[in-house]
Amino acid sequence: MDVDPCHYDLVGINENDIHNVVLSYLVHNCFNDTMESFIACTGMKQPDDHLEGMEKRKRIFNFALDGNALKAIELTNQLAHDLLEKNEELYFDLLSIHFGELVRSRKCSEALEFAQAKLAHFGKVPKYVERLEDFMALLAYEEPDKSPTFYLLGLEHRQKIAESLNRAILEHMNLPSYTAMERLIQQTTVVRQCLSQELGK
Amino acid sequence: MGGVEDEEPATKRVKLSTEELRGLSNGSSLIEPVSGSSSDLMARPLSSEGDEEVVGSKGVIKRVEFVRIIAKALYSLGYKKSGERLEEESGIPLHSSVVNLFMQQVLDGSWDESVATLKKIGLLDESIVKSASFLILEQKFLELLNAEKVMDALNTLRTEITPLCINVTRVRELSSRVVAPSQFVLVGSHSQDIVRAKSRSKLLEELQKLLPPTVMIPERRLEHLVEQALLLQRDACPFHNSLDKEMSLYTDHQCGRDQIPSQTLQILRDHSDEVWFLQFSHNGKYLASSSNDRSVIIWEVDVNRGVSLKHRLCGHQKSVCSVSWSPDCNELLTCGVEEAVRRWDVSSGECLHIYEKAGVGQVSCGWSPDGKWIFSGVNDKSICVWHLDGRELECWKGQKTLRISDLEITSDGKQIISMYKEDAILLLDREAKVERHIEEDQTITSFTLSRDNRFLLVSLLNQEIHLWNIEGDPKLVAKYIGHKRARFVIRSCFGGLAQAFIASGSEDSQVYIWHRGSGELIETLPGHSGAVNCVSWNPVNPHMLASASDDRTIRIWGLNELNMKRKDAHSNGIHYCNGRT
Repeated sequence: MDVDPCHYDLVGINENDIHNVVLSYLVHNCFNDTMESFIACTGMKQPDDHLEGMEKRKRIFNFALDGNALKAIELTNQLAHDLLEKNEELYFDLLSIHFGELVRSRKCSEALEFAQAKLAHFGKVPKYVERLEDFMALLAYEEPDKSPTFYLLGLEHRQKIAESLNRAILEHMNLPSYTAMERLIQQTTVVRQCLSQELGK
Repeated sequence: MGGVEDEEPATKRVKLSTEELRGLSNGSSLIEPVSGSSSDLMARPLSSEGDEEVVGSKGVIKRVEFVRIIAKALYSLGYKKSGERLEEESGIPLHSSVVNLFMQQVLDGSWDESVATLKKIGLLDESIVKSASFLILEQKFLELLNAEKVMDALNTLRTEITPLCINVTRVRELSSRVVAPSQFVLVGSHSQDIVRAKSRSKLLEELQKLLPPTVMIPERRLEHLVEQALLLQRDACPFHNSLDKEMSLYTDHQCGRDQIPSQTLQILRDHSDEVWFLQFSHNGKYLASSSNDRSVIIWEVDVNRGVSLKHRLCGHQKSVCSVSWSPDCNELLTCGVEEAVRRWDVSSGECLHIYEKAGVGQVSCGWSPDGKWIFSGVNDKSICVWHLDGRELECWKGQKTLRISDLEITSDGKQIISMYKEDAILLLDREAKVERHIEEDQTITSFTLSRDNRFLLVSLLNQEIHLWNIEGDPKLVAKYIGHKRARFVIRSCFGGLAQAFIASGSEDSQVYIWHRGSGELIETLPGHSGAVNCVSWNPVNPHMLASASDDRTIRIWGLNELNMKRKDAHSNGIHYCNGRT
């Protein structure tokens, strides 16, 4: 590659494009208030139907993040009624979050009943077996944090699931599930890595 | 009683009362019995008396161990009373009382008690106690699950099993079991193999394996020792050549020479010139022989009637130097010296195909293990591969050929073994394209592959036969000498039960037989009046050997009837018969 990297200085950018990138980011992550002031400042056209959807998605996201998976499921079903049917894996992940919460609050027998009722049938499908076993292993420990799969109880895990749920809902609403911002950063990172490899040769 | 001389001084004789004298004549002991029978006096093994501690003439068997494994054997045979009596009489308990309690608790399912008892057994280190406790508690867990006491099982898991901090993978599997109801099992997971709790006696067996053998005698220890001895005897037996022979515990196993074919049973005179080659088919039903008289004869081998002529195959224009049976024994390849290769149908005797190449002559032939193609050695230093229908598939050039060019393929089709130089053999792995060599310091005259593809028997110019192990790097493992070879190609073969023997022809007109393992020459069989060119041992009947000779005959050798009859007189009733496996 013999393109001079400094060429990027010469590329012209449209202001609107930048605004759209920022806007899409805000919408994706449900930053309602920020979005409203941003629109006001830049004079952009407000995407009207987005606001309500954003409010709902924000609530769902927060419930999932807090571990209140059942509430998140309920609201999701209201908003996008067959989404979880089509996204079985996501449904499983949400259910297992609820299970994790029960274990965390030491409600052992409840957790067991819930697992037997809702999670066990996933065991018939090979792709869920290992994950199911990971969760079940939590039951064996009086202090779940000591188990090898303790990370399933952590915030990071819930965040991942919450984000997946968010993406799924956006997709369901025919909106992009990945923000332009994310894509741009990902692409830049790859290009940079590529370039440094080339240099290294 | 003998007369008592009154003149004898009283001190020299103990005055016995009439009571005791009567007792003496009965044969009972002079000493007052302590309790019960006199044998009780020997009951307590006196450890101070060194001799009592060992039994047997070599002084390597400890009495205590010996008695304990006998007691164990009595119990496993079901002779509970005898076992108990032995423990009592010898004063040597099979297991200490703690161990007995432990075993009983396990069988009764008193899990927590058994874990507690376990800790009281000495001689155990921490890790064994933990592993054994794990096994016991796992059984407790599984039995609770089977009884549908899921919460109890879960509690056992959480409070008793997991805190042992061992076997984390197993803990994981067990916790999955809690969720899956007993009627279906998590698909594809390891739990598949623990659907039901195993039986308690099985648990006890597993615990036995875990604990040191001094604490709990392993199951079937005595049987194992005896089997070991029997197998060692069998392996050491140089003439072991018969399936029928059952090994007895009463005497050391030793086959007599009578198991080796050593008597001429038949002389086949149907060839009109030197017989150069012969070979039994893989199923032992046929024998093919080839001769300087340009013919090949297929013989039928019958258990009762012996060997009889089935077909004479004529057609070759030159002497026939070798034959090769198809893997299914329905067809035969024959090769004329520097001439053509012919394929024959065994049941009809018809010639199915002739393989020839213009301008060159072939010197050897063979089948691929799948029976789909054949190969032949050619006198222009190449090896030709043919389709059955006559189309040439491949031609490998550059192999050095002698007058006879042997070629073998392993039964998995992977290795080709051929002559590479006068004194070297090439082992070619067809897939990996890897070459290995066997280098001899003498000219090689012929070679043959063992049935298990692991060994190669190589005959040399200098009257030695070498056995090579060809797994991995070829290694010379044995040499067989004694036979005579000066001018001709003399062939040797594997044979007998499990190919435990080596047989060879010889220029002194005898057949030589060695024990493969020890290299010992065990038979030289006279009879032929000309050099014996080739021998073949029936692969299915270890008591039948065939030899081909320059005296134009083929001899069929079998067991020596006279010896057999004598042996039968005091055998354990098993009847041996010529030709029968």
